[in-house]
Amino acid sequence: MEENSLSEYILVIMKNLNFIIILYVSLIISYSLSGYIQENSAYEFLAEISVTPPAAWKIPVVCSILYISFLMLMLIKNIRGFKLVIKLCLEIVTSFFISYILGFSYTGIVLLIIADTMKFVPKQGWKFPFIVFICFFYFIADYDLMSLHYNLVSLETYIGYFKDGTGSVLMGIKNIVNSLNTFIFLIYMILLVRIHMNEKERIMHLNNQLNSANDELKYVNMQLSEYAKESEKMAETKERNRLAREIHDTLGHSLTGIITGIEACTTLMDVAPEATKEQLKAIAEVARQGITDVRRSVKALRPDALEKSDLSNALVTLISEMRSATSAEIEYSFETSLNCFNEDEEDIIYRIVQECITNSIRHGKAGKIYIYISREFNLLKILIKDNGTGCAEINKGFGLHHMEERLDMLHGSLNYNGNDGFIVEAKIPIRWGTEEKG
Amino acid sequence: MKNKINLIAGSLSGILLVCGVFIYNGTYKDFIQGKSNVVTIGVFSDSYWEVQNGYSYHILEDAIKLFEENNPGIKVEYTSGILKKDYSEWLSAQILSENAPDVFYVLADDFNNFAETGVLEDLSLYIEKDKDFNIDAFYSSAYAYGQYNGKQYCLPYECAPKLMFVNKTILDNEGLEVPDKDWTWDDLYSICEKVTKDTDGNGTVDQFGVIGYTWKEAFESEGINLFNRNGTECYFTDAGIGKALSFIEKLENINSGYNAGSKDFDLGNVVFQPMSFSDYRAYKPYPLSVKKYTGFEWGCIPMPAGPDGDNISTLDTLFIAINEKSRNKKAAWELVKALAYNTEIQSEIFNYSEGVSVLKDVTESEQTLGQMMDGNSLDLAILSNIVEEAVVVPRFGNYEEAVAQVEQAVTAIIEDGYNISMGQIIWNRKINKYLKNSK
Repeated sequence: MEENSLSEYILVIMKNLNFIIILYVSLIISYSLSGYIQENSAYEFLAEISVTPPAAWKIPVVCSILYISFLMLMLIKNIRGFKLVIKLCLEIVTSFFISYILGFSYTGIVLLIIADTMKFVPKQGWKFPFIVFICFFYFIADYDLMSLHYNLVSLETYIGYFKDGTGSVLMGIKNIVNSLNTFIFLIYMILLVRIHMNEKERIMHLNNQLNSANDELKYVNMQLSEYAKESEKMAETKERNRLAREIHDTLGHSLTGIITGIEACTTLMDVAPEATKEQLKAIAEVARQGITDVRRSVKALRPDALEKSDLSNALVTLISEMRSATSAEIEYSFETSLNCFNEDEEDIIYRIVQECITNSIRHGKAGKIYIYISREFNLLKILIKDNGTGCAEINKGFGLHHMEERLDMLHGSLNYNGNDGFIVEAKIPIRWGTEEKG
Repeated sequence: MKNKINLIAGSLSGILLVCGVFIYNGTYKDFIQGKSNVVTIGVFSDSYWEVQNGYSYHILEDAIKLFEENNPGIKVEYTSGILKKDYSEWLSAQILSENAPDVFYVLADDFNNFAETGVLEDLSLYIEKDKDFNIDAFYSSAYAYGQYNGKQYCLPYECAPKLMFVNKTILDNEGLEVPDKDWTWDDLYSICEKVTKDTDGNGTVDQFGVIGYTWKEAFESEGINLFNRNGTECYFTDAGIGKALSFIEKLENINSGYNAGSKDFDLGNVVFQPMSFSDYRAYKPYPLSVKKYTGFEWGCIPMPAGPDGDNISTLDTLFIAINEKSRNKKAAWELVKALAYNTEIQSEIFNYSEGVSVLKDVTESEQTLGQMMDGNSLDLAILSNIVEEAVVVPRFGNYEEAVAQVEQAVTAIIEDGYNISMGQIIWNRKINKYLKNSK
């Protein structure tokens, strides 16, 4: 890339040098022309030449204007096709005109066109005929050849005005700057070729990189497809577990309620047949609920209560059902809105509450259950506490195990303690950016 | 953004290119000053024939008046006070600084130089288009003098043929007749042979037959074409050239080594000298302020004819041309016509200048001139014929150099005593080689 900007610099130097040379030659011509007139040798001079030159002042002025016009043309970039052809033709015409005014004593400006073409003509297919054409023009744009076709006044004739020594010095300087221009052009071309080669190398290198990356990608792809198979299997297992959990949660819950209810009935039956009846009705309700749950599980595997209403209502319904189905007193307090969770979160919260109540009644024989849901920063805290028997040694049953599994899916955590009654504390991180719904 | 830059650069470049072209070819003047309604003419203040007659701008002023009447709204301007000897340099300087007048006089000696350099507008198209313009009105030779490489660059304005001046006094003294209008080399030779003598008996020849008669006059009157049209070939081996060369050699031998100059003619010691008709015009009419030849009677007759030639010579011609860079060429052409083609203006040449009008009708009907030539072997018809038949030399780039080569050849052959036909062959090769190399 550094070389690229270097070549830009060289192009700028070439442009400036060409301007200097053109100005130099035109000033020589201009000076000698006015000199001939002032020294009363105009007639002799006319006899020597075969065409009338333009007025002395015109040569540097017109050359400068044309050269600036030429530079403007060189500024035009990023064009192709028809426009590019026009641009190059105009460049050639302008440089030809300048050379013509200078009597083809300086044609190095054509090198500038070649330099420009080499750099900015994009397609290889275009470049070649252009370069050939311009080179051809460069070769023929020479005083001796051109004077066959055009009547020209050679620079030597103009320089003849200067007395012996001065003329040679002026001519020498002109030749030196001319050679300098050619030399700089050569450097420029070499640089351009190097840039071109570097670019090719870079592209080849990138190609190699791409190939190896491709190979790697193929390998990873293979791994990925294996992993996909595995994960499919895992999903199957997960789903099986979930189904088991679902059955445990719904049927197990309902059945526990029914069993407790029936046990109560057995005791009550003789003492208060009326209350037993009521109790049985409640049991039937629980059983019905259980059936609905099972149906729903089969259908969508989602708590029916949640299907019908939002999470807090579903929980309230659940709690009141449990109250009426069992003798346990259930108190609850929701200190935060529960309407901002996604379905999966809602499912899990619901199941945890449900499971904990079931556990407290089934295993702890609890008479009182507290449910407390609050929010601590970005954590949802569910605390469920009972006054049951608890258990000193916790034997993780299916329920606790599933709860942990579920919370894991939400990156939450589960704590429990069975020393005084049973306490379960679940913490669920609230997803960032989750806003309250409606 | 990129597109915008391209658009700006492209249009700027286009504007500059157009500006450059307009400045280069001078169109910019039309934008700055508007279309010009002034035609300038380049002219010298003294006479082309080097005779001070006091009428320097008389004809020009009349022509301008006529032109301005016919072309209302257009004015003619000229720079006065330029002498003929400075005129070529002045005009060249004006040309080089692109300030040259729209129309200018061209001296015969400058014609080749200007025509070759492309200073002069090619008039062929104007002549072709202009229905009022008929080239047959001109003397064909004078008209042809304005051609270069087959193109008409100039119109003749006035001309003067070369004539042979005769010292009648010597001929009377020697008992000889003034030769006829169709005299020949042999007549010239026999008269010269008779009159060349030592009259006072001091041992040196003091009366001569002819001076200033060179190979050029001999070639012209022998009808020799030295070069082809384009100047690529020289016909130096032509048989006529051999005759002319031996004639010159014979003439020179009469003088037996003594070379007389034009002073001898002025003193009345020479019978013949070729001179321009303008000299005749300047000094012949009486009374005229300058009386150059006081001691003898003189007149002029056509040049002697060679064995295969005619009594003719070349013309000295003053031309008018249009500047190739003129911005008002249409008006310029009208002005050229007013000067060279208008019979009124052309007839003024006989009153205010010493040349001959280039229009046949004007010259042939000129009465004052006719009276002036009464009693000579020259009359208007003969003069007219001499002009019409004048030798037209080919015009090409290095004509002067080629003539110098021939001059060198003639001198070498005559002075070094070569065998003439051998010399012709040798020099023909040399000259042709030179012509080939200089192309």
